[in-house]
Amino acid sequence: MSTENIFKATPARRILGRIAPENFIGRSEHLREITALAPSTSPRRGLLVHAAPAAGASELLRQAYDKLFQQRGLASPIYFAFTRHEQTIAAAARRFLHTFLSQLVAHRRGDASFVNAPPSLRDLIDLADPSDYEWVERLVMTYERAREGGDELALVRLCFSAPVLAASRGARSVVMLDEIQNVEKLRGEVELGNEIAHVSMHGDVPFVLCGLRRGLLDELSGGNAPHRFDGFGTIHLEGLKEADARTLVERLAFTERVAINDETRDLIVQLFGGSPFYIASFMYAAHLDNVSLTSFLECQKIYVDELLGGRINRRFNSLLEEVTPSLTIRRALIRLLYDAATNAGGKSPVEAWRRRLELEPDELYPLMFALHVRELASFNATFMEIGTESLWRDYLRASYRLQVAADPRALVVADTLVETLKRAPQTMARHYRRAAALNLRELLARFDAQRVAASLLHYDRFSRIYRGVEAEEIELGLDAETDLIRLPQVVHAASCASFHPPMLHVCDEERCAVAHGFDAMPYTDANEIVWLTAEIDSKLEAGRAVTEVWCDRLVQVGHSCGFKRFKLWLVAPEGFSAEASELLSERDAFSSSRRQLELLTARLSPEATDARAGTETEAPDEFEMVIPMGSDTELIAAHTVEQIARRLDFPAEAINQIKTALIEACINAAEHSLSPDRKIYQRFRLESDKLVVTVSSRGIIVPSPTNAGTNGNDAREENNGRRGWGLKLIRTLMDEVEFERVDDGTRLRMTKYLRR
Amino acid sequence: MIDSHDRSPVRSERSGDIAVIYASDYLNKLSGERIERECRVALGAGCRALVVDFKNTGLVNSIGVSIMLGVIDAAERAHAPLVFSNVNDQAAQLFEILGLTLHAALAADEHAALQMLSELNVSERYPIPVGKHT
Repeated sequence: MSTENIFKATPARRILGRIAPENFIGRSEHLREITALAPSTSPRRGLLVHAAPAAGASELLRQAYDKLFQQRGLASPIYFAFTRHEQTIAAAARRFLHTFLSQLVAHRRGDASFVNAPPSLRDLIDLADPSDYEWVERLVMTYERAREGGDELALVRLCFSAPVLAASRGARSVVMLDEIQNVEKLRGEVELGNEIAHVSMHGDVPFVLCGLRRGLLDELSGGNAPHRFDGFGTIHLEGLKEADARTLVERLAFTERVAINDETRDLIVQLFGGSPFYIASFMYAAHLDNVSLTSFLECQKIYVDELLGGRINRRFNSLLEEVTPSLTIRRALIRLLYDAATNAGGKSPVEAWRRRLELEPDELYPLMFALHVRELASFNATFMEIGTESLWRDYLRASYRLQVAADPRALVVADTLVETLKRAPQTMARHYRRAAALNLRELLARFDAQRVAASLLHYDRFSRIYRGVEAEEIELGLDAETDLIRLPQVVHAASCASFHPPMLHVCDEERCAVAHGFDAMPYTDANEIVWLTAEIDSKLEAGRAVTEVWCDRLVQVGHSCGFKRFKLWLVAPEGFSAEASELLSERDAFSSSRRQLELLTARLSPEATDARAGTETEAPDEFEMVIPMGSDTELIAAHTVEQIARRLDFPAEAINQIKTALIEACINAAEHSLSPDRKIYQRFRLESDKLVVTVSSRGIIVPSPTNAGTNGNDAREENNGRRGWGLKLIRTLMDEVEFERVDDGTRLRMTKYLRR
Repeated sequence: MIDSHDRSPVRSERSGDIAVIYASDYLNKLSGERIERECRVALGAGCRALVVDFKNTGLVNSIGVSIMLGVIDAAERAHAPLVFSNVNDQAAQLFEILGLTLHAALAADEHAALQMLSELNVSERYPIPVGKHT
């Protein structure tokens, strides 16, 4: 993929930002929220930024700093991060005051050089703007006296209220305090979090208080009298959205001069769950190693290098050091975490932790809480549950083998590479399945006691009335239906696996949902109902056997979770056979096809999206064509190949065979992949005695009719032998057929020889 | 965007006890289902034999053909003879490969199909020879 024409590097002034502003993707709204605090007319007193680990919160604040610095005449930006290296509260307070004055003077003088190389406090007095000279001098003198005095509280209050004092003298600032979770580790008598919360709420200075989402409010809570943070906005900072993460990878590939393609770009996004920190580290590593990332193997090599010795490795090492500085405890911790990660469910009891780490409760609980805050594990009173992020688990496995089991490094590298490489197609497959899933959970959440045509929830009825009917007619028919179903008011919807983890073994999380609600008012036990719904994989109408299996599974979920009253709703892309519908009726279950679900979704919220993209080049004897999947576009391909085949004087019968084979190949590509771009790539190469047609598409291989489906159903029974003929037909019609699975999709090569 | 029903819709006519369903120019899932629907409607309305005419059909795909098997099933259950007429070479080859010609007769054109059925005296519900163009 060429990115050179897409992005033109625009030079921008960077002071604290570690990446170029044009590469700072997907955070423009948050950036705007922070910079909007600068005018004195800002309606907000400040912002609380609850950040997921490695979501790029510090970079967000640094970018905001750079942006605010350029806005002359407005508030001065102040960025201060609590670091884990700092030992005491007093030291943090002193460093804050120094940072504050350096950055304030820098901004008011328009000289950014002080920001990264701050002069001494005494020098800052001389460097201060004449209008600030008096109060800066007085502040420094007072500070020096307080420092000598040894009153920690007085020192802390003096330092952290300096922005309020400055504002009262006409030097307003926006104070951004980062990594507030590190306050917890500082030694001292003062409740620093409480002091910060107090000054941020009562001074006329906007504060941005940023920290890990599991630790921020604990630090700022104020103990028995929790602070309300009136007038504060909230930012929940998570991984980048998928489209933004893709753009980030593309931009970094361009700036770091690393070749990528669409497949590896998407893999990188999936590997790092949209974390800008990990993506940037990964791309930078590829740049340093001067490697291209055009295959899964190359990507996984860099991934393993980073995991075992690069920036990603150092980040996890550093996180564990924050959790416990003791090397001995850390090694025992890695063993414990690894063992817990390999347990079913990734859980282990707290008591086991205490025994194995040989720690007293007052040492153990801070350690477990530190793991919890960093989301390396979840602390749930009686047990610890290890984080499921695959990057963290890969690190844990490799660290355990290297540091605890003392396996040879070469063996660990080789095993990790092989394992992650094997996992890459599964990672993508899971991503595609997730993208193609019908999103039952969201749909259920939108039910809101609305009334819909009953046929939308009874496939047999829908099929009887609307099969083969024009879309407009269906809409009119649904509008005219008098038999309506009142959907429940759903108050909570979650994946089935959240209630009953064994469901993860039989289906993807997003394909099965549980919705709690009420099917009538008032909110009483009698009206309480739980909808259990699942999406079944089936190319044709789902048969009775698979339908029965799914009904039983959902009933089992209902019973094991103790739901008193529940309703089953099964969804199959092509609906259900007559026998299956009979069963569903016996079980009093609802049933819908994908079409019904689309209609239902449109009726609950009429929105839809679409996306398109570009294509490439061709050679003299070679023709290339990209068609979107669906809407009979295979006909366009068939007509095109007919024209090309005529050039070589293929007889009419052979042309018909080529056309038919191509149509089948296109249908196959559309039906058998959960293609992310919904495109079919075709290449027609003319040689003296043959025509070679290559059809490829991205996505995964949906199990063939001879294999069991991903949901555990036996597709043979469903097929009744009437589908899955595509490849057989192609082999009959063409002379040579090669079907291969590539990194991220499939490729079918078909050859027809000219017989003169 | 191509949309088969805009180019040549599936339609049907009735000739006594025989329904003639005219397929559209591309036999795919959608048009196949429309043919199936027309056939079921015709059988439900009392027709005793069916002709599916493919004179407008240029291309056929395997999904469309698989739906024709459903049509054959429906006709068999109703003891109604079924004839495919005007099947071009491409479609005929597919019908052959996919086994449709084992269950339904092929006629050169609609007239020949009607002739074939009238000779059978459809009301007596005789099976008819299958797989050959008359």
